[in-house]
Amino acid sequence: MSMNILRQGIVALTGVSVAAVLAIGASHAQGETDKPDKDRLPLVVINKNPYPSTYEPFPSVTTMIENATILTGTGDQLENASILMAKGKIVAVGTDLQVPYGTKIIDGTGKWVTPGIIDVHSHLGVYASPGHRSMSDGNEMTSPVTADVWAEHSIWPQDPGFSRAIAGGVTTLQILPGSANLIGGRAVTVKNIPSRTAEGMKFPDAPYGLKMACGENPKRVYGKKGGPATRMANMAGYRKAWIKAKEYKAKWEAYNRGYKAGKDVKAPAQDLELDTLMGVLDGEILIHNHCYRADEMVSMINMAHEFNYRISTFHHAVESYKVADILAKEKICSAMWSDWWGFKLEAFDGIDENIPMVANAKACAIVHSDSADGIQRLNQEAAKAWSDGKKAGINFTKAEAFTWLTLNAAKALGIDHETGSLEKGKMADVVIWSGDPFSVYSLSEKVFIDGALMYDRSDPATDWQSDFELGQNEKGAHQ
Amino acid sequence: MRMSLLRIIVAASVAMSYTAHMSHAETLAIKGGTLHTMSKKGVLNNATILIKDGRITAVGQNITIPANAEIINAVGKIIIPGAMHSGSRLALSEISMTEDSNEHSAKKSPFSAAFDVQYGLRSNSVVVTDNRRQGLTHAITQPSGSDGIFYGSSALISLTGDAGMRLGKGPMIANPANGGNRNVSWAKIRLIFDQVKFYDQNRNRIKRGEWFNDFLLSGYNMDALVAVLKGRQKLVLMVNSEDDLRQAIALKRDYKLDVILSGATEAWKVARELAAAKIPVIINPLEDLPGSFGKLAATLRNAALLDAAGVIFAISPGGMAANHNAFHIYQMAGLAVAHGLSWERALEAITIRPAEIFGFDKSLGSVEKGKLANLVVWDGDPLEVTSNTSYVIVGGVNHPLISRRTLLRDRYLDLTKKPLAFQ
Repeated sequence: MSMNILRQGIVALTGVSVAAVLAIGASHAQGETDKPDKDRLPLVVINKNPYPSTYEPFPSVTTMIENATILTGTGDQLENASILMAKGKIVAVGTDLQVPYGTKIIDGTGKWVTPGIIDVHSHLGVYASPGHRSMSDGNEMTSPVTADVWAEHSIWPQDPGFSRAIAGGVTTLQILPGSANLIGGRAVTVKNIPSRTAEGMKFPDAPYGLKMACGENPKRVYGKKGGPATRMANMAGYRKAWIKAKEYKAKWEAYNRGYKAGKDVKAPAQDLELDTLMGVLDGEILIHNHCYRADEMVSMINMAHEFNYRISTFHHAVESYKVADILAKEKICSAMWSDWWGFKLEAFDGIDENIPMVANAKACAIVHSDSADGIQRLNQEAAKAWSDGKKAGINFTKAEAFTWLTLNAAKALGIDHETGSLEKGKMADVVIWSGDPFSVYSLSEKVFIDGALMYDRSDPATDWQSDFELGQNEKGAHQ
Repeated sequence: MRMSLLRIIVAASVAMSYTAHMSHAETLAIKGGTLHTMSKKGVLNNATILIKDGRITAVGQNITIPANAEIINAVGKIIIPGAMHSGSRLALSEISMTEDSNEHSAKKSPFSAAFDVQYGLRSNSVVVTDNRRQGLTHAITQPSGSDGIFYGSSALISLTGDAGMRLGKGPMIANPANGGNRNVSWAKIRLIFDQVKFYDQNRNRIKRGEWFNDFLLSGYNMDALVAVLKGRQKLVLMVNSEDDLRQAIALKRDYKLDVILSGATEAWKVARELAAAKIPVIINPLEDLPGSFGKLAATLRNAALLDAAGVIFAISPGGMAANHNAFHIYQMAGLAVAHGLSWERALEAITIRPAEIFGFDKSLGSVEKGKLANLVVWDGDPLEVTSNTSYVIVGGVNHPLISRRTLLRDRYLDLTKKPLAFQ
């Protein structure tokens, strides 16, 4: 509790110093007249956003989908309901909506409408199609701690996988580095749109993620390359990194304090790796931790307490069902497959009821893909988990289960105030399904991102065709 | 509290029976429901199926059930022949990335065509029992690789979960892409078959050393290809691009081989040629990404387009869905329906069609008198992702729907109950 207050205090302090340096910069430009400390070097502040999002929503028209079955993404199902979207935002959801003149009306009879699906675990762009070595940019397997690398610098926006994912109703995704490393680098959240640049896809103001990995992968990759070769060395590796990060953070804090007090202080040398780790300690970067085994999750939780940071989400998390109560208490999300298991020993205990069991313990449950194929059918993955839960006596409604694909995912990424549910004022990220999305036969028909129609199954001419595919295959022929 | 105790006892006794040897009931009768026979009889409502000694002994609407029969009430349910995976790794791999539970590869061995999975099948595989629980009843299980083009012989297995699972030898598996670039590999395949023919005709002279040995394959690997060359063993060629598919068609024509094409990502582009050559294909309906230059034309409509052109095909997923998730075959059939294939054709493509393609339709693939009793009772549309199995019968045995994974579930289902089974 007291630590939280302390953290807030630090964030506020940082805010003040940014304002201060901006003021100093401005006065420099005006020719330096009346500042008493005019000979002082300006305060050094690390630019936390050197590759800012240039995303702009595509053009949209005021649109209403009426008479549909709506899953709100907050756990409710509305029958014969409508949703009105204008200027990229959701204006209203319900019945008897007031419709502005000129609104485009879409008949939703027999259709289902849901929030856009959010995949918290994707490697689209960093492991692009075609799957050639020259396109394999997701794992910096040169050192077990590479907190300095950023997935966005590996993203190839021409990956045809993005266009397949939108046909699956995916509007937002987090793209992560791979799991070879203990600390693999920064993950980035993007809107699923055609773009020439990664910056053009970046979800504005979404917090960064930091990929960490438990267990087998780092051991396997580094076991004969200087370590870690064991799980105990995995833990030692993370802890050493956090100790360095704490020292770094303390140096910056001392510098900022000293500068503010008018002392002649020298800024610490910038360290890309430690910038990212410090961002976690400052609560600005969210931990996304590849972790299969329950016992390792608890070790990771204890380490988070040791160094006073929060874990957003355990990814893959095939054993979350064993510690769902602990995860609920710690408010940590689990991003899971519905039924993958057994491809390695640490995945041997994966069960089909993992997702509903986690949700049933009131822990945050998310369906994720980690796959360029799986991302196209996340609704079916949720459906399988929902059904398997029911068979085991865990009865969620479909509306509740859909939060595993939407609002819970948005929470894990720190963007739930903007997207993830069909609520007034949120981004109009919306999918129209041909029918119940819990059916294998249902397909997305239209997908809106920020109110713009980004996918329309009825009109192949509107399909995105990446530069790579141009001239090689027929537009829209893949579906 | 009493309930949880009861649950523990039930779970424990079920766990024991699950590992214990299954004994055949005297007679098993499945009564009621909607039966998709996948035979000329079509769909039968409220039919009865009698099963004895592992075989189906009667199917029809006016069947008298013997007094001693164990009766499965299938009213309101859907009964189908069990699904068959056409290219699995079942019983050959428990955990993919471990050193000691994988028996599917001939890599780093002297074998290529001579590799045969018959010796390394795992009789008590938890992967097999889990897939059986989810409605998969039999499969081709096949080698995954070698240091050459030929991977070796597969097996047809029934998911009995015991030492009697192997029903017979399956096709020879070959992957031209493992032979070098396309010019190298197709030349190699042709040369190998030329050499096998020569070798077979001059075997004794060659073995006496009367011939300078410059064969591409060793004698024992060529021995394994004689049956393929003579059309007595089917040959599965793993090919994806339209050009490789054409090469495969030409290979069949020139060497009179009994060829099945697997992968066949771009098959829809050569559908007419495949239909004319009467070559069956095994496809994975989820492929829609240009994963390589041989898959640029991947499309979700592959199944529907092949069907429209009259190509015989089976549906079978790959990757993880070749083993731990082999039961995804149902979802993949449903996916093909979502993209234009008829429901009936999709169900055929995972039941009778693969049995025919691999030449096992005399004993499998439909619910008919005399066939092996591998069938599944579903609580809804078997292709639907929210449906579940109610009963799975393999080799005439009504297997409990239990696997190591359901036991794990039961152990942790109630975390408030202390102490936990494994505290």
